[in-house]
Amino acid sequence: MLKINGISTFYGKVQALNNVSLEVNEEEIVSIIGANGAGKSSLMRSIMGIVHPQRGTISFKGEDITRTKTNNIVQKGIVYVPEGREVFTDLTVEENLEMGAFSKKFTVHKLHALFEEMYATFPRLKERRHQPAGTLSGGEQQMLAIARGMMSEPELIMFDEPSLGLAPVIVDEMFDVISSINQKKKIPVILVEQNAFAALNISSRCYVLENGVVMTSGNSRELAESPEIKKAYLGG
Amino acid sequence: MVRIVLQLVISGIAMGFVYGLVGIEYTLIWNSTGLLNFSHERIIMLGAYVFVGSMITKIGMGVIPGIAGALLFIALFAVLVALVIFIPLRNMSRMCAIMATVMLGNIINEGVRLYYGPEAMTVKGFLNGIVRIGSLVVAKAYVAIIIAAFVILGLLTFFMKKTKTGKAMRCVSSNKTASALMGIDVQQNMVITIMISFLICCVIGVMVIPLYSVNQSMASMISLKGFAAGVIGGFGSLPGAIVGGLIVGVIENIGGMIFPSTFKDVVAFVFLILMLLLRPSGVMGKKSVTK
Repeated sequence: MLKINGISTFYGKVQALNNVSLEVNEEEIVSIIGANGAGKSSLMRSIMGIVHPQRGTISFKGEDITRTKTNNIVQKGIVYVPEGREVFTDLTVEENLEMGAFSKKFTVHKLHALFEEMYATFPRLKERRHQPAGTLSGGEQQMLAIARGMMSEPELIMFDEPSLGLAPVIVDEMFDVISSINQKKKIPVILVEQNAFAALNISSRCYVLENGVVMTSGNSRELAESPEIKKAYLGG
Repeated sequence: MVRIVLQLVISGIAMGFVYGLVGIEYTLIWNSTGLLNFSHERIIMLGAYVFVGSMITKIGMGVIPGIAGALLFIALFAVLVALVIFIPLRNMSRMCAIMATVMLGNIINEGVRLYYGPEAMTVKGFLNGIVRIGSLVVAKAYVAIIIAAFVILGLLTFFMKKTKTGKAMRCVSSNKTASALMGIDVQQNMVITIMISFLICCVIGVMVIPLYSVNQSMASMISLKGFAAGVIGGFGSLPGAIVGGLIVGVIENIGGMIFPSTFKDVVAFVFLILMLLLRPSGVMGKKSVTK
């Protein structure tokens, strides 16, 4: 569904990605793990057209999107829930959700049905629907960011470090939600994580990034057993 | 005595709305693009010149069609400025950006002088005269300003709270990357914001014609005090700009009663400096928000 072919991305003269290739198929969860600065977020930003790779191509459903503008990529059905949540702090929770559906021309009726669906998944957002998003806790903001991402009914959704800075209880809840999105909506998910253990646990395939290069990739369960991965990412 | 104070308060409120609108007009651009538009004084002036010099005098339109014509011209001008200057500038160093908006102001200023000539202009009978409210005597211009301010604020509030483009505008002010990730065309949204800002400038320019007549320095004081209004209200806050404007407007008028009236401007700016010293975040400004 998503096919990345040998992309190299630069920020000025600094190379963030070097010849990275990656493939995501229908209905699978693909995780991308790696240390800080390995290029995980750069890869996401390249897919979304926030930065454009200098070499290589990215295609989605067979269509080349390497140079497409971010807002048009969203229109095509790829949604990115960025690292650090990035909710609109001045807008209310419900307005945030509504903006999640900006790329679609939904009727008011449809919009409210989607609100209710999100509130059913995250009851705490319903309690706070009229509060500015800036007043939410970190975990609630992450829930809002995920729900906002789901509002446009994406065909592929990418989560960047959804567990970052959250309490362990909430982290588990987050991963449960992500795998249920994958199962219920039958859409592929890309999960970028520093928490390699959790990422390998819920994904079917995994790519390991190191210094902007794909070091290894493959079946998540097999990778979790491999000695190098264990040593480098799973703490023994 | 009470009547004089009341009258001063009313004219203070009217001027306060002018300052508040100036505050809103530059805050909109600041929030959206991160640029401080130092050419706003000249845009206000340009609006007045286009209305009087072109629409009324040259084409011979009536007041209402004339205002519509001036608004249309300014809207097109805004799109041009946005695409050619403001949007390419916003990623450059702040110093370049500031200089460029100052230069744009100078270009407009010289352009106006070359095209319309150096003499001041005015429109006979436009918003002249007085309105009596009970025993109060209020200049018609002030009443018109207050009404226009309410219409603009009402429209702007409706636009930003209820329409999709307006909500997108608030998103762009809040977080540009996240806005793009929602599918908002951030650049296009900035063009719309700049256009709205320039349109407000144009209305301000037209409304203050009876107070200052049409000349090249007509907007220098209001643009400066409008800037003060924004700072006093809380930099970046739209409701704050109006509150700040009203505070400046009323205080300078009351101050003009206590001190010799030539000190009116001094009162406003002394108040601004006091405000910066005592409460730099402004009346409605947020205290440093931790994210």
